[in-house]
Amino acid sequence: MKYPADNLRESLAAEFALGTLQGRARRRFERSLKDDPALRRLVTAWQERLVPLNDGIAPVQPPARVWRSIEQRIRKTSRRGAGIWDNLGFWRTASFAASAAVVLLAVILAVGIPTFKPHDTMVAVLSDDQSNPAITVSWQADPRGAERLRVRVMGHADMAPDTAWELWMLPGGDQKPVSLGLITTHENQTVLLPRPLAVAINRASGLAMSVEPKGGSPTGVPTGPILYKGLCTMM
Amino acid sequence: MADSDSVAELMARCVLRDERAFAQLYRHTAGKLFAVALRILRRQDWAEEVLQESFVNIWNHVNEYAAQKSAPMTWMTAIVRNRALDWLRRPNLERGGEDYDLLVEAVADDAPGPEVLLGSSRQAKALAECLEQLSGSQRQSIALAYVHGLSHAELAMHMREPLGTVKTWVRRGLEKLRGCLQGAPV
Repeated sequence: MKYPADNLRESLAAEFALGTLQGRARRRFERSLKDDPALRRLVTAWQERLVPLNDGIAPVQPPARVWRSIEQRIRKTSRRGAGIWDNLGFWRTASFAASAAVVLLAVILAVGIPTFKPHDTMVAVLSDDQSNPAITVSWQADPRGAERLRVRVMGHADMAPDTAWELWMLPGGDQKPVSLGLITTHENQTVLLPRPLAVAINRASGLAMSVEPKGGSPTGVPTGPILYKGLCTMM
Repeated sequence: MADSDSVAELMARCVLRDERAFAQLYRHTAGKLFAVALRILRRQDWAEEVLQESFVNIWNHVNEYAAQKSAPMTWMTAIVRNRALDWLRRPNLERGGEDYDLLVEAVADDAPGPEVLLGSSRQAKALAECLEQLSGSQRQSIALAYVHGLSHAELAMHMREPLGTVKTWVRRGLEKLRGCLQGAPV
């Protein structure tokens, strides 16, 4: 069912977000939400407006049995190991377009790079071949440019002597990776970006980390193995 | 409470089916979300059930989150509140009368208005300012409906006013809020 009148849509969205839209009307509204993105945006806007009303509620730790039940239930549905990178043709291979994972990539990119709000956060989780996350990189998706990247190194391989870790931006398509600079094994790091890169990174499809000679890649593109890579997602 | 950047990071890892990230997400957010469910349901066992279902839901639908364009906590809170409200409005639900008294006590008329309970974020400040412009009855009915999950009928009972009056307070209050908040930076 459609709700054509703007005022009606707005007030239904408001009462849905508040919780006072009930019974059959609520269920009908929920069905409309499924294929009406504009209506979903109205609801989201109301949820954002009202959510500070919960600020005064002090957290209450739930008993441990709640997490145990959740864990059991997600284990049944989880497909661990079937990482989306398993057969993703990387930028160096020609099989990129043939890979089924590209479809997923396109889906993530389609929802991941829309217009920016000031507080949108971009995140890339860099994982190894077994989908184990090693590094997260996050930044504020400001259309004027992201000046700094926050790099968090979690579990990782050892850095061999006389080597360096270089962070790369993957612009997407068949464009070459662009160096973002060297990182270390420290848990929390900040990478400062020069102006052109600060703007370009908001459109990057992914990030990667390669092992390079001390001082970084001599050629401007990765020369050593890519240890970790991941897609950029808007949060 | 975790800052929204790190919650966003954890959610990105959940999209990649990282169970450790999901466990961390739970540790960061479950306390707040459990309290939200408790306020609405007023029974520990129901709140536990709703929290469990909500987190299974969050895990299963985390890949849809990016399309919602809301802050991570807003998205998760909405899931918990929807589950809790659905739970309350199941046809065969047996409510305990005792729990309701607790509620009435908690929101007695001389209790401070909701504005003093709001946090210090920009959104919270904007909401607090706009709530000030509502009448006391409008403000109270919106806060009770949101935080305690009261229906129109329950609001009418609690505020001892006819159903139609309460519905008008809620509707007009929401309209005023929207007008006020659209003028404010979000």
